[in-house]
Amino acid sequence: MSLLELRRAGLTGRLQPLDLTIHRGETTVLLGRSGAGKSSLIGLCNGSLPSDQGHVLWRGQDLKRCRPEQRRQIGTLWQDLRLVEELTVLQNINTGALGRHSMVWALRNLLQPPEPEIGSAILRQVGLSSDLRDQRVSGLSGGERQRVAIARLLRQQPMLVLVDEPLSALDPGLASDVLNLLLHQSSCVISLHRPDLMHQFQRVLGLRQGELVVDAAPSAINESTLAWLYSED
Amino acid sequence: MALQRGLKPAPALMALAPGLVLLPLGLGLLRDLHAGGAEQIGRFWLAAFQPSLERSLLTHQLTGLQVTALTALLAWSLSSCIGLVLGLLCSTTIVSTLTGLRWPALMLRRCLSPLRSIHEMVWGLLLLQLFGLNGWVAVLAIVLPYSALLARVLADQLDRHEPLALTALRCAGVPAVANLFTSLIPPVATAIRDHIGHRLDCALRSALLLGIFGLGGLGTELMFSMQSLRFRELWSGLWLMALLLALVNLLIRRLSAGHGLLLLLLALPLVTMQWSRSLHHDLSLPRWVDGAPWASSAQWIEGMSQAWIETPWLELVGETLLITLLASGVAIALPPLLRLIAPAPGPGRIVKAGWLLMRLLPAPLTALLLMLASKPTITVAALALGLHHSGVMGLVLEDGLARVDDREHQAMVALGARPRSAWLFGVLSPASKRYLAYAAYRSDVILRDTAVVGLVGGAGLGWQLMEALSSFHWQQVGWLVLVYAALTLLGELLCERLQEMT
Repeated sequence: MSLLELRRAGLTGRLQPLDLTIHRGETTVLLGRSGAGKSSLIGLCNGSLPSDQGHVLWRGQDLKRCRPEQRRQIGTLWQDLRLVEELTVLQNINTGALGRHSMVWALRNLLQPPEPEIGSAILRQVGLSSDLRDQRVSGLSGGERQRVAIARLLRQQPMLVLVDEPLSALDPGLASDVLNLLLHQSSCVISLHRPDLMHQFQRVLGLRQGELVVDAAPSAINESTLAWLYSED
Repeated sequence: MALQRGLKPAPALMALAPGLVLLPLGLGLLRDLHAGGAEQIGRFWLAAFQPSLERSLLTHQLTGLQVTALTALLAWSLSSCIGLVLGLLCSTTIVSTLTGLRWPALMLRRCLSPLRSIHEMVWGLLLLQLFGLNGWVAVLAIVLPYSALLARVLADQLDRHEPLALTALRCAGVPAVANLFTSLIPPVATAIRDHIGHRLDCALRSALLLGIFGLGGLGTELMFSMQSLRFRELWSGLWLMALLLALVNLLIRRLSAGHGLLLLLLALPLVTMQWSRSLHHDLSLPRWVDGAPWASSAQWIEGMSQAWIETPWLELVGETLLITLLASGVAIALPPLLRLIAPAPGPGRIVKAGWLLMRLLPAPLTALLLMLASKPTITVAALALGLHHSGVMGLVLEDGLARVDDREHQAMVALGARPRSAWLFGVLSPASKRYLAYAAYRSDVILRDTAVVGLVGGAGLGWQLMEALSSFHWQQVGWLVLVYAALTLLGELLCERLQEMT
């Protein structure tokens, strides 16, 4: 069953029109040099960069016309994290659930964050102490902030997870844990700078100079394909 | 040659260069000086150390102080609440997130510009003609410009903030209103809380100034004392005011940490209304007075063109700009100049106390003081305004100097530079950028304030406005207010450009 469909969708000057279907339960890795268009493709898939040609469909409906309750089925872990720096860890985690709750709940989250036990459980899941719950995000290290962003994503409970460079601020041991956690989500598209990890995924998408040039199973990708994908010309 | 090569003067020199205006101002003051006033000025400063402690006077002044305080607190509370709502509506980020359109926010912002461009004293005098002497006149005179100013500050803060979290939550399906509250308000909350706290200090000064122009409270008492040269009484009032300002600043600092400030804002209207009853201060619903200008609207419109023709605009605008230029020069250059004379920390503390004193003394009182020894001229008006604002600029400079990394200064001293040169290029220079950026904004405030001292100089739009008001020439009042607003808005635009450049 298809979740997300791109039909000749593109971004002028950044991403050439492409056709792509993301299926439920599928784990996909996005590979390519810096500037190849990986973040643009993620932006196109979550609607933050509206396509200026073609269509992006979420479960058969145009993404631009999707209601908030449909949009919350797509979760994103942004490269720059996009946390609210002035809020606490728990308040930030709770922002993942704002789409399911009322305005009063949103206001309560600013004054006295509700459901702290859920926040604590998720914090433990991402390897952080629940003691951090009431700390401001601005005071955390890069790795801790990244895990808070993952915790927010888990709180959102999306059907499709889009991830842009999740391992950049993490040490190797932690990177492996985080990747396992993300791969346990039902469906995901993860942009990585680590071709050596592609065998953990079911599908590989390769981008080169704004064009989708590889769409295959990891077993079908050989060394020369990877070398070409990461070459300058 | 240097300019041709694209060289820029050192920032420290740019902070000192406006001091060139001190030369013509000093010469002008010497020309108009009469020795008889020197004794009075001496008495004035001596009286600062021996204020009157007469019981009946203090009781009277304390009542006046309470009226000033309740006027300021009520005006501050109302203007903050109104300003916050208007600020949200003026933010293009908020309005476009909710409606998909930017123009309603931009349009509202333009509509509010004239409100903040007119000085509270002018609002006070205009409202006084419409409603007569009523407690609400002083309150509204502060509420109108302050609400519009807070709206602009809040909207600017919201729109300058890069909305990354906003986009992230929108993509995660968070409804627009909940998203705005969560991702946009917390990042600007601290800055806005600080600004609101600072406005209470400003509201107290404005309420005092409105009193000087006859709207009641301690200001009126101070004006009477000044006019009858009872300096010891004047200083009793000024020290009481200083005490109130210190207490209020302490209270605001304590309340700013939590939700106390918001609760105070919401509770104040009720508290002040009750307080006004105990003081027998009239805060009943204001009513139009007989003979107000709208009664003959047909004649009013007919006389508009006549008023425009008979007013010497070029001369008035030129004089207003001259007062602004001279006063800005004094206000900007005096603090670094005095610090250059006394760069050591010891005398620096004395200089800081001097700035606090300058800030405490309202510009019209400084003008009256100067007039004890000089004729009323543009020089006196500019000097009075400049000295008052140098108090503000002096404190800004001290704050900036305290933040400067001392390593450059130490390096210069180690290289054998003279103490003054080391201070100029190692301390003042790094602090100059922020100082000059604030100076551009302060010049804009000085332009608005020329209305307050125009009468003293017998020149400019401020003087003409007083003349028109006292002769009930409403058509001219209308034009003058419009020209003042246009001039201030022009100044604001220029100031924004200057800030971008620095």
